[in-house]
Amino acid sequence: MKRRDFLKVSTVGAVGTSMLAVPRGTWAQGPIKIGMPAALSGSNAQYGIQAKRAAELFARDVKAKGILGRPVEFIYEDTAGDPATAVRKAQKLVEKDGVKFLTGVALSSEALAVSAKCPEWKVVFMSTINGAGSLTTKSFHRYFFRVNTSGPMGARAVSLYLAEAPMKRFFALGSDYAWGRDSVASFTSQITAAKKEVVGTDFSPVGTKDFASYIAKIRQSKAEGVYLVLAGQDATIYLRQAHQFGLSREVKPIMEILELENMKAVGDAMVGAIGSSRYPFTIDTPKNRDFVKRFHDLHGMYPDMFDGETYEGLEWLAQVIAKAGTDDVEKVIDAWEDSTYEGLEGSFLMRKCDHQAVQPGFAVECVKDAKYPHPVPKVLATYPGDKVTPKCRTEDFA
Amino acid sequence: MANVLEQLLNALAAAGLLFLVSAGLSLVFGILRVVNFAHGVFYMLGAYVGFTTVALTGWFWPALIVVPPVVGALGALLETSTLRFIYRRPPIYQLLLTFGIALILEESIRVLYGPTAKGVELPALLRDAIDLGGVLYPSYRLFVVVLGGTVGVGVWLFLRRTRAGLVIRAVAQNSEMADCLGADVARVRTLVFGAACALAGLGGVAAAPMTTAYLGMGISVIVDAFVVVVIGGLGSIGGSMAGSLIVGAAQTWGAFYLPEAAMVIMYAVMGAILVFRPWGLFGEEE
Repeated sequence: MKRRDFLKVSTVGAVGTSMLAVPRGTWAQGPIKIGMPAALSGSNAQYGIQAKRAAELFARDVKAKGILGRPVEFIYEDTAGDPATAVRKAQKLVEKDGVKFLTGVALSSEALAVSAKCPEWKVVFMSTINGAGSLTTKSFHRYFFRVNTSGPMGARAVSLYLAEAPMKRFFALGSDYAWGRDSVASFTSQITAAKKEVVGTDFSPVGTKDFASYIAKIRQSKAEGVYLVLAGQDATIYLRQAHQFGLSREVKPIMEILELENMKAVGDAMVGAIGSSRYPFTIDTPKNRDFVKRFHDLHGMYPDMFDGETYEGLEWLAQVIAKAGTDDVEKVIDAWEDSTYEGLEGSFLMRKCDHQAVQPGFAVECVKDAKYPHPVPKVLATYPGDKVTPKCRTEDFA
Repeated sequence: MANVLEQLLNALAAAGLLFLVSAGLSLVFGILRVVNFAHGVFYMLGAYVGFTTVALTGWFWPALIVVPPVVGALGALLETSTLRFIYRRPPIYQLLLTFGIALILEESIRVLYGPTAKGVELPALLRDAIDLGGVLYPSYRLFVVVLGGTVGVGVWLFLRRTRAGLVIRAVAQNSEMADCLGADVARVRTLVFGAACALAGLGGVAAAPMTTAYLGMGISVIVDAFVVVVIGGLGSIGGSMAGSLIVGAAQTWGAFYLPEAAMVIMYAVMGAILVFRPWGLFGEEE
């Protein structure tokens, strides 16, 4: 496996650097380097690839002007979704390439491992994907920033929506690891608080190929909605099979994250599913419409959740570096705290107390739209940042 | 009662897919004496080639016809160009080679198709769930049960009742003696390897409407297939059938009745069988 990693990494690295090489000599100072230890292979590659796509568009957008008149250079490393590899690759980016900013880390497990090292390395960790609540609570430190909506914030948006919805009985099915179990617990407590009932819970192992047994249980529970904390492939397989069993007509799927990736793979069978979205690309603002168009021109597809979230992070980071007038890490951190940013999905505020970006939360539905070749997320409800962001350094909501 | 019927059908559908994969794995071991780690990738390849066929023709059924020969031909080509040269080497070479082939094929698929899973639509005829006395059951799963059973009986009859089957069994029993008696052993090996890959490909295309075609489906299926083959006995088609039924039942019933232990049950059953018959249910003591 070592050799395989080496080959992959060297290829990715070589291609990445050659593509992004900016003609030297035309710039006053050396480049501002941003390191991306992202999962570009393995079963979670889709998330790393989203981060990379966003960075590629951002690199193109700032190519002419740079930041502070300096070119921007992205250096990609493949972590394959493994925390130990992610730390090793991040260390290489910091010590060998001299990057001062790390971003694009795909999994929360990787983020927790890499972020823990950042105070020692004195580099900024900017999360644009990672959902684990603990990153901004018990694992928080000065060098960590979360631009994206966290997992508890997503669960909160769905719960707020369901509190108003007519459904009363829910089944909760989660992936059998920390994210699934935490989210199901959080969902259960919020739904119970809204005087509704969770009639059953179950946890499927990551990589489940046949959901027939779970489908039978959900049907027997006579629930009206099923809350699903499944990501990527697991979600795709569940949704297809539930549709084939005729279950989705009886029990509405409610997704912790409603991803475009799933909509493409599942197709029309997913229409009608609701859930939360970190960034639904159909938000109708001039800035977002322009972004979606530029993204589509470059990549030939519509942006998924973390394409948008990562692009927002990079744009915000550039804005903060410009404001600080330097890429000095300590000064950038000071400039970032309590600063605001007009993102694709609305206004952002970087809270000083836990470096969690306060931003709108979305409940969305998967719908068919003749304008697009696949089903797309449609915004059902938008919640202001103060309603969906937990109290500082906690996972409690006001 | 309705519930029991549903669980029974679920187990049979899982077993049908498992059989298509494990039959080839078992045959290849029986005749080539190779533990083929790349076998799961041919299953995945079947799903992806099936996706392309459906995308090009707009129909599901042509995929069932097109995929097995395409995947089988690729398998046969790989046997003649790589595996053929290492039959006499220590088993570690086979492991390295087949594992290497698996990695190369998997990464090639990633490059060609991208990381996103590819959905294959159900054939129009089998799109709906049908009512079986109070149980709403997807008709496509019933088709998978029938497909697995038909192929199983077909392969068994072929091996037992035809002259070609006789030659294959002879090579499996003693390849040198079969060679002396005029059987073209090299050709038998190539054809068996190709046929095994074709079966795996058929399994992949049959699975695609249920699971989509995705990267990693080969790795996840091969683990189950190894368990099937170990339970049933290496090299035995009847064993693959029995093993598929046992593993299919352990997985689906485990997830339903004992969810906390679902992951363990399959291995517990395998362990229990190995204690009493280390060579598997239908295997022969060596």
